[in-house]
Amino acid sequence: MAMDSGADGQSHKAHRSRHSGASAKKKTKAKNKDQNSDQKQQNPKAFAFRSNAKAKRLQSRAVEKEQRRLHLPVIDRSYGELPPFVVVVQGPPQVGKSLLIKTLVKHYTKHNLPDVRGPITIVSGKQRRLQFVECPNDINGMIDAAKFADLALLLIDGSYGFEMETFEFLNILQVHGFPKVMGVLTHLDKFKDVKKLKKTKQRLKHRFWTEIYDGAKLFYLSGLIHGKYPKREVHNLARFISVMKFPPLSWRTSHPYLLVDRFEDVTPPERVQMNSKCDRNVTLYGYLRGCNLKKGTKVHIAGVGDFSLAGVTGLSDPCPLPSAAKKKGLRDKEKLFYAPMSGLGDLLYDKDAVYININDQFVQYSKVDEMGGTTNKENKRDVGEDLVKSLQAVKSPIDEKLEKTKISLFSHNDRKRRKAIFGDGVDHSNLKSTDEENEGDEDDDSDNDNDEGENDRSNEDNESCSGSEFSDGDEEDLKSEEDDRSNEDNESCSGSEFSDGDKEDLKSEEDGMGNISKWRASLVERASKKQNINLMQLVYGKSASTSNTSTNEVKDDSENEESDEDEFFKPKGQRAKNSIEGLGGGNINTEDCSKSTKISELKNWKEEEVYESIRDRFVTGDWSKGALRNQMSEAKTEEDDIDGDFEDLETGEKYESHQKDDSSNGGIQKEDDDAIEERRLKKLALRAKFDAHYDGSESPEEETDVQNGGKFHRSQANDSGYYDKLKEEIELQKQINIAELDDLDETTRLEIEGFRTGMYLRLEVHDVPFEMIEYFDPCHPILVGGIGLGEENVGYMQTRLKRHRWHKKVLKTRDPIIVSIGWRRYQTTPVYAIEDQNGRHRMLKYTPEHMHCLAMFWGPLAPPKTGVLAVQNLSNNQLCMKPKKSPFEALN
Amino acid sequence: MGKITYKRLKGSQNMRQRLLLATLKSTPVLIEDIHADDTLPGLRPHEISLLRLFEKLTDDCLIEINETGTKLKYKPGIIVGGSHLVHDCGVSRAIGYFLEPLILLGLFARKTLVIILKGITNDSKDPSVDTFRSTTFPLLKRFGVPSEGLKLEIKSRGVSPHGGGEVHLAIPTVQHLTATMWTDEGMVKRIRGEAFTTRVSVQLGNEMIYAARGIFNRLLPDVYIASDYRKRSEAGNSSGYGISLVAETTSGCCISADTTVSYPRGDEEEDIEGEEKKELIPAADVGEKLASVLLEEIEKGGVVDSTHQGLLFLLCALCVNDVSKVRVGKLSPYGIETLREIRDFLDVQFVIKPDPSTGTVILKCWGSGMKNLSRKTT
Repeated sequence: MAMDSGADGQSHKAHRSRHSGASAKKKTKAKNKDQNSDQKQQNPKAFAFRSNAKAKRLQSRAVEKEQRRLHLPVIDRSYGELPPFVVVVQGPPQVGKSLLIKTLVKHYTKHNLPDVRGPITIVSGKQRRLQFVECPNDINGMIDAAKFADLALLLIDGSYGFEMETFEFLNILQVHGFPKVMGVLTHLDKFKDVKKLKKTKQRLKHRFWTEIYDGAKLFYLSGLIHGKYPKREVHNLARFISVMKFPPLSWRTSHPYLLVDRFEDVTPPERVQMNSKCDRNVTLYGYLRGCNLKKGTKVHIAGVGDFSLAGVTGLSDPCPLPSAAKKKGLRDKEKLFYAPMSGLGDLLYDKDAVYININDQFVQYSKVDEMGGTTNKENKRDVGEDLVKSLQAVKSPIDEKLEKTKISLFSHNDRKRRKAIFGDGVDHSNLKSTDEENEGDEDDDSDNDNDEGENDRSNEDNESCSGSEFSDGDEEDLKSEEDDRSNEDNESCSGSEFSDGDKEDLKSEEDGMGNISKWRASLVERASKKQNINLMQLVYGKSASTSNTSTNEVKDDSENEESDEDEFFKPKGQRAKNSIEGLGGGNINTEDCSKSTKISELKNWKEEEVYESIRDRFVTGDWSKGALRNQMSEAKTEEDDIDGDFEDLETGEKYESHQKDDSSNGGIQKEDDDAIEERRLKKLALRAKFDAHYDGSESPEEETDVQNGGKFHRSQANDSGYYDKLKEEIELQKQINIAELDDLDETTRLEIEGFRTGMYLRLEVHDVPFEMIEYFDPCHPILVGGIGLGEENVGYMQTRLKRHRWHKKVLKTRDPIIVSIGWRRYQTTPVYAIEDQNGRHRMLKYTPEHMHCLAMFWGPLAPPKTGVLAVQNLSNNQLCMKPKKSPFEALN
Repeated sequence: MGKITYKRLKGSQNMRQRLLLATLKSTPVLIEDIHADDTLPGLRPHEISLLRLFEKLTDDCLIEINETGTKLKYKPGIIVGGSHLVHDCGVSRAIGYFLEPLILLGLFARKTLVIILKGITNDSKDPSVDTFRSTTFPLLKRFGVPSEGLKLEIKSRGVSPHGGGEVHLAIPTVQHLTATMWTDEGMVKRIRGEAFTTRVSVQLGNEMIYAARGIFNRLLPDVYIASDYRKRSEAGNSSGYGISLVAETTSGCCISADTTVSYPRGDEEEDIEGEEKKELIPAADVGEKLASVLLEEIEKGGVVDSTHQGLLFLLCALCVNDVSKVRVGKLSPYGIETLREIRDFLDVQFVIKPDPSTGTVILKCWGSGMKNLSRKTT
């Protein structure tokens, strides 16, 4: 007690506030201020609107501002895995672009990059990959880079200030959709005076802001340590990059495009020897971005021209994301990188040869493979693999070894080069010989190694048997067939249908007897599935290649049509027969009638049982039966689409159907169920992500909006009408698409929607001019863009444009300019005009000084509202462009 | 860019879809062997008329026909559209033949299309103009075409052989078509229709209506068939009568059937077929028959009737890059041909799945992402 009281009683020395001096003054000032602000709160009425009119005006202004903030939501139709984001590093020469890429790569992968050439793909996180590209310092390169950049890092020499390159690039970016931009100040160690440094930073920042928007991120790299940027700062920069969101840009979401990270000449060497300037065949590799690529699409190679694709192949991802395991961060093994043009990884590009680098690590790896792994892998091993392994076995000094490992593949067989890909070293399939790679892709998918040879044959079987089946569609019929035969049928059709079932079947075959009853039980199901294919076959003729490769399919069609020319001199009867055999199965001159005009065999609808049979199709009939008609089929066809959100199907019913499947198919279905469950979860997650994304801050402008936060939130709550509905609709459509497409098997899906975004594709293009090979520069990235419907046509276009304020002279009519629209750049001669009050277009000899004018020029058409940029001259030292966005309209 | 590569095709089959798709996608086409083996080789009058119509609507298009008319070179231009257009469709095919491609062409034109079409309004071969109004326009609305702009007025009716009908058509432009999921066929809730008579007694129309109602009455009370009696200038140049019926379902699908009875045309074409002038089918039989045809269409199921399958597939294929899913009854030959042409021109394939429980077919496709390139922006 006493102790306690003692403790209480012991008083600490009280704080004695100052009554005079500087700090006392400060305090009183602050106090006064506080009180003032308090007063504001206490009497809000004092600051309300006095006049009705003013209140109205302010309110309407607020509403207007709110409306202006809203943008039509852009629909993102990429449902596949996200391709790596492209980070373009741009800046004037000697500002440290390559160094930045090198340090970033080092930061992510712990590898030293000798040389930055071409795009460098790295896995930066569990869900994210990045592709670093250095922007070349010429206008063409900058224009191309602006078209594929997801994020532009603008490097600025802090000690010097802004240079023209930065602003040029910014202007180009603005015209071509304006991706995310981040400034990076370097060379800050040149400042000795801290105050001056601070001032400069401020100044540059504000200048940067005026160019982009207030609050745009400008990053500072303070200087070099051991010739590298400081680790901590690079780490921070990487963090900034990793949290960045990339809003979809409208041009890019509607056009497929590839940033080529691997490029090869596959012209037969004889042809090149005969004529070194002959047209070449090339292959281009890259991740597909934007939207899905269909086989028939034409592509534009920037700076080269339009080409039709001779072949498209989906390859296995050279730089895959780590498998989804529940752990934090990336393992070292998963920190992959892929940069064939830089010599990182295993391929080194020279002007006329490609070299393979094999690291010790991989030598180790393949030895292990030799000892243990290959029991159930293919027994016949590739010659190439053997060669490589024999090389490893050689015990010789390193320099010799190195010499030997530099195999110049060009001299043997140029197709072989494709084989030995890169550095992940995880893929077995990559070690196969190239000649098989086309088919091999297919096996990559199905993981079936031994049906390679059978492929063709089994396809044929599929056709023949399905033909017979369609005629009666009977189980009995199939049973009576020879076991082997039916097995093969099974295999072939399942091969085209689902890979899982396929595997299962094969396994059971290998076991010996095989579980015949099992497959027999599922025959009915399969028969019905086959029937679907048959209906498609009936309409579209024989299904084309079932493989992943789509080479020349379109071409074949046209060839068939063209080859009819040869038949010109055949006897008449024969020709008729031919045409009957063809798709149409009849006269090519049949009359064009949408109405089927056979009224002859009509039922007698007066009879009672006849009209009672369709009673349920009328509202006077049984409603439940009528409803069942829709529902049953819906549940049947949309089995897979479980969507808690937008479709209220009876889950009970669906469950039943799954149960049935389970009993018939056993374990296979279980996997399916898992997959379905997973898909459902993914969908929900996606939905949540979507909501979060669009409700939260989505655009940088909003950061500035935070100041008037209260008002902003209130208004958003109010206006949640049309805009939200629109967003919901888009989301719904997306979910529907995913659900419907997931229903299909891989092959049909490929036919229907084309190659999905995020796939690593190999495009084969024939007859490109030899200059593309001759002047190929890995530092100058190649952009391949898909051409939309109707965009390959040429015609006159009308654009609105304005002379750029930094361009010194006005422009003259019919002076050639270089225009960049969409993917293209081309030179053309514009005619300038201005629209008079009476709606007439008056030709102008010179562009106005500070006004928009119309420009008419001839060229490949582009859809309306595409950004246009024109440059008068490509030389580097002067800025001479006059970009302005322009609503666009094709004249004719 | 200088050389034009033509897509080579043979025969006059599917001329309409081919020309339409070629124009929309602006692919030059070269069609050979057009009626090459006939005694009268070459393009038929209605095909030439169709080409003229395309020429009228587009700018900078190039049509070359060889001497015999068996070979056609067509380089499409830009679809302009516009108002105050007049086109004489001739009397070899009905206006319905021209309307089908015209509607799609109009949607992707630069300016709103307002056109006067003259010729045969009702025919047994082609869907009648009444059907277009009652069934085709609601179908277009499903794909995001604004309903205000769609208009079809029948100023005067004309039947074969001499035609003389006139319709005013207005079609709005769209930026793109929206995809649709349309598998719910619903139940028939009402039947509407129109029976017309030109230069014959109004009594015939009433007979048709009476007969058709006789069939429907057992199934549905809500049947209303209007009669349209035309005379003098509104009745065209020949006499005839016909009926068009539409069944509307609870889910908004329209299923139609129509027919027309008139004297066959006395052209040389018909002479070859050796068709002599015969008595017309009695009106009561026509009504009864057509009612049966409509019931048969309803029995087949699907969200559209067999006549509109081709148009439905075209619309689906021209949608934005989304999945469309539709249900139709048995695939009609015309529908199948259209599917093939779509595959060849637009590179769009449909997934076709039969639905055995109802005997219908479900088709799915991924739209080609067609956009109106020529539309004015400001």
